[in-house]
Amino acid sequence: MTGDPRLKSRAQQQKPVAVPPPPPPPPMEPPASTMGMDGASDAPDRQSVVDDSKFKLKFCTVCASNQNRSMEAHLQLASAHLPTVSFGTGSLVRLPGPTINQPNVYHFNSTTYRAIHNELAQQNTQLYTQNGLLNMLSRNLSIKGYPERFQDWIPGKPRLDHAEDQGAQGTEAGVVDVVITCEERCFDAVLDDLHNKGGKLNRPVHVFNVDIRDNHEEALVGGKAILDLALSLNEAAGKERELHGDGGWQSGGGAAREGFDEKVPEILAAWQERWPNLPALWSLSWF
Amino acid sequence: MNPAAQTLGQLESARSLALGDGRYYPTIIPGVLPIIGPNSNASLEIRRWGADFLAETFASPAWPSDAKESCALTVLPTLKEYLTTVDDINVIKSAVQTAASVYPLVYRHIVADPHDTQNWQHMLAIKSNVLRRMDAAPPGVRICCVKFVQQVILVQTPGMIADPRRPGQNDISLALVPRDHPLIPYANLEAEASGLLDRLLDIIHGDHSDALLVTATLNGLGMLIQRRPSIANKILSSVLNFNALKLANSPLTPKTKVLIRSIERTTKALLANVMKRNPDGPLNIRIDQYLQRMQRMRLDVFDESSRKRPAPAEPTDGLDAAKRQRLGANVPSPAPSVPPLPSGPVSYRELLLLTPDPGAANLDVQQMFPDSNVLLRLIVPILQSIDEVKLGNAINVVRSRYLDLQSRATAQAAAVSTSMAMSDGIDDEEEYEPDFEPEDAEQMVNRLDSAPPDDTVAERIPDSHLAPYKLPEAPPLTAEEIQKYGDMTVQRLVGMLSAADEATPKSKTTKGGFNRLAASNFDRDSWVTILARLATRASVGLEDPEEGIKSEYNGVTKKGSFALSDRVREALHSYIMYDWRRRIDAAIIWLNEEWLNDRIQSEGVGVNGNAAMNGHGNNVPSKGHYFRSVLKLLDSILPFVEGTDKILVRFMSEIAEVNGDVLRRMKKMAEDPERIDLAVMVLQYLHLLKPPARDICVEVLTDMWHTNDRAKPSARKLLSKWRPEILEQEESNMKTESANGALEVKPA
Repeated sequence: MTGDPRLKSRAQQQKPVAVPPPPPPPPMEPPASTMGMDGASDAPDRQSVVDDSKFKLKFCTVCASNQNRSMEAHLQLASAHLPTVSFGTGSLVRLPGPTINQPNVYHFNSTTYRAIHNELAQQNTQLYTQNGLLNMLSRNLSIKGYPERFQDWIPGKPRLDHAEDQGAQGTEAGVVDVVITCEERCFDAVLDDLHNKGGKLNRPVHVFNVDIRDNHEEALVGGKAILDLALSLNEAAGKERELHGDGGWQSGGGAAREGFDEKVPEILAAWQERWPNLPALWSLSWF
Repeated sequence: MNPAAQTLGQLESARSLALGDGRYYPTIIPGVLPIIGPNSNASLEIRRWGADFLAETFASPAWPSDAKESCALTVLPTLKEYLTTVDDINVIKSAVQTAASVYPLVYRHIVADPHDTQNWQHMLAIKSNVLRRMDAAPPGVRICCVKFVQQVILVQTPGMIADPRRPGQNDISLALVPRDHPLIPYANLEAEASGLLDRLLDIIHGDHSDALLVTATLNGLGMLIQRRPSIANKILSSVLNFNALKLANSPLTPKTKVLIRSIERTTKALLANVMKRNPDGPLNIRIDQYLQRMQRMRLDVFDESSRKRPAPAEPTDGLDAAKRQRLGANVPSPAPSVPPLPSGPVSYRELLLLTPDPGAANLDVQQMFPDSNVLLRLIVPILQSIDEVKLGNAINVVRSRYLDLQSRATAQAAAVSTSMAMSDGIDDEEEYEPDFEPEDAEQMVNRLDSAPPDDTVAERIPDSHLAPYKLPEAPPLTAEEIQKYGDMTVQRLVGMLSAADEATPKSKTTKGGFNRLAASNFDRDSWVTILARLATRASVGLEDPEEGIKSEYNGVTKKGSFALSDRVREALHSYIMYDWRRRIDAAIIWLNEEWLNDRIQSEGVGVNGNAAMNGHGNNVPSKGHYFRSVLKLLDSILPFVEGTDKILVRFMSEIAEVNGDVLRRMKKMAEDPERIDLAVMVLQYLHLLKPPARDICVEVLTDMWHTNDRAKPSARKLLSKWRPEILEQEESNMKTESANGALEVKPA
């Protein structure tokens, strides 16, 4: 009877001592206090505004339509004085319409947030006020001019014409160090597009995904999470810059010797512990 | 403001200028280089800025690569200095990035200018410096080295020439390098690229805990697959052998979880991109399978939610009847529900029958296993596998039934006795059982069970001798009926004949002749022989030479058989005539059987012996069937014979005997000018190979010679050999005739 393969699991259960190595203990549950979704408890000791004199990584936030999640994150990063640009990976800008079958559709790179705002306000002020679209659009138009499409972006092309955008300072050269997408679909689209672009700049870029559901509340929470991640990364990169001088990284020891890039997985893992409800992905790609 | 900051401010404004318009780069670079370059003793801050600036400059899409090419040469010393003397990770990173951007440009320059040794030396120094860092440098630098290696592979692998007339537009690749280039030998470059590619591929098969390097490499391979078809298959095969979930074997910490998912996702993105770019790629099926496999593995590793709940620790069986019974649990099997015994008398069968299922109850093992050996073989393992507990239960049930039955029987007996006692005075008829006393239970049961068979046996008639059974005799057949059924039989036989005709192609087997067994196998010859013997031999002795003289008593049957033989003959005749060219051998078999039969009969009759072989055919009784059949068949065939039917020769030579009548048919046939040759051929053949028939042949030929003028030329040839005197005689006649002037008659 013990030979029955279907009973293997029970046999193992009955005599756990026979299993060769005991499994590693489960990861410690993060303390409840850090699980707050309002982000108030994240890294309380960290300055949420980066000193302009310090080194700054350049960020890029990406969602489907460059309206809600990427723009919320854009605003939060820019408010923290981090150089930020933002994009959408969809083929068109899609916003909810009067019914689910009648979305409002606009072209990327040409339709300004203001134009969209005006059109929707004209269409049905009450509806779009109620569902928060007008509010969102007026926020967006204060951040930058129009939704941009990631696939149409030419990395390395100077973005001097975007100087008015929030977070534009530092992104003049048209490259970023970190791309943060808000949905797995966008993450895949970004990696795919970077393959297509062929990595002509020979410049590494860390691509992250933070899975955020597409509504205003989640976008707000997700924006805080992205800011948390961005600050963690920026801190690590800043430390690497400080390891300068004679001997540099060779003289250091332990964690201090590690550069920024190799620390990224750990930073992300630590971040994931803090934000267990926002599953993350990461890849090092090339511009 | 310290001087370094001041300098940085100036540099930054120069950079802004270049960012504003890429055309300024060629003028700005010479201005910047002295500040950031090797002999400037610049501070680390400025060098960092310089390295970043160079990386940005040569990556920028804002100015054309032709302009970059000339500028690239000027920055080589600076790059080399950064790489060899500056010990800062940020400077190194940017310098390696710059080197990756610059390498293709310098390479193209060297292709065009094979004698610029100095610049190429700089480049080679940079290259070897970068390659040295590949294995030992911090990961942040190594990924940049990977990118540099990717660029080297890209330009040192043959690419496609888009337009040979415009070299500037072409992809920088090995295809641009002339075979006899003095500085960069083609073969060396190619070999180096191949080696470097192997190093890259080794990275993804190596240690995955360094996900940074693995994803960087995977993301770098996409462009190589896309732009260098010659190595695409190698890369793809390697990636398809790559275990993206390798880390899953190590303990799952939050970090490894992130790393596994990231590597898996990066691989997926790469392969999806490959498939999307080349929807008809030969490896797409494999890629698809790989992706599906990876998906499943990922679910295995991560997705706890999609798994079934683990088996509970304690056996649920026996505790909760609603749950499915699981194997191996020690269930106290519940007492099986057993239908109660029917009231009234009970048979052994009912007593022992425990299953309520009528199907099982009515199962007849004897019927199911007619072969008792099979049953025996089954029984032993079945007995061995019987559950002891169940068996015990069953025994108990039967035992309790039995006891119940016993008590029922005693109670019944008691009731009977009491009722008897009660009715003693009332019902006098009971008295005919005066010796009734309660039987003991065993007797009772025995009686109950053995009752039915006893009854039936009692009803049986005691064995007695059976009267012999005889079938009623059929009424005698009338002559017509005999004829009719005979005909039907013959029809059936002929039907077999034609069926066999179609079924078997004629195979060359040894011919048994007269000695053959009629039907040793199922083919046409067998059936023909059977038919022929049926026709010839079946009625032997029934038909007499002295026909019609026999007594009237035998007349009917004899006539019937005789008619039957003729029927068979007719059937054979028409069978042969239906396709006489192909069935001529059937005819020969038949006729020879006829001849043999005639022969034997005549011998039996007596006197003639075998002196009458061929030729003097008169001594074969004419009332024999042979010649009659031959002539009949011949007369039927001849109208259809054509001049080319050599088969007639065969026929004439293979039948047993020919006589004058037969050969005269040849003469008759020769009256048709087209068939003269055939007739002569038959005669010649018979003359040659059938010596007994020679005389008749000559006779017939002479006859032909005399009567058939058209046959004369062919006849003359033979007669000149066989009987020249006839020719001489004729010639003399001819002379007289020609003397008379009757010369018109010339042979054709």
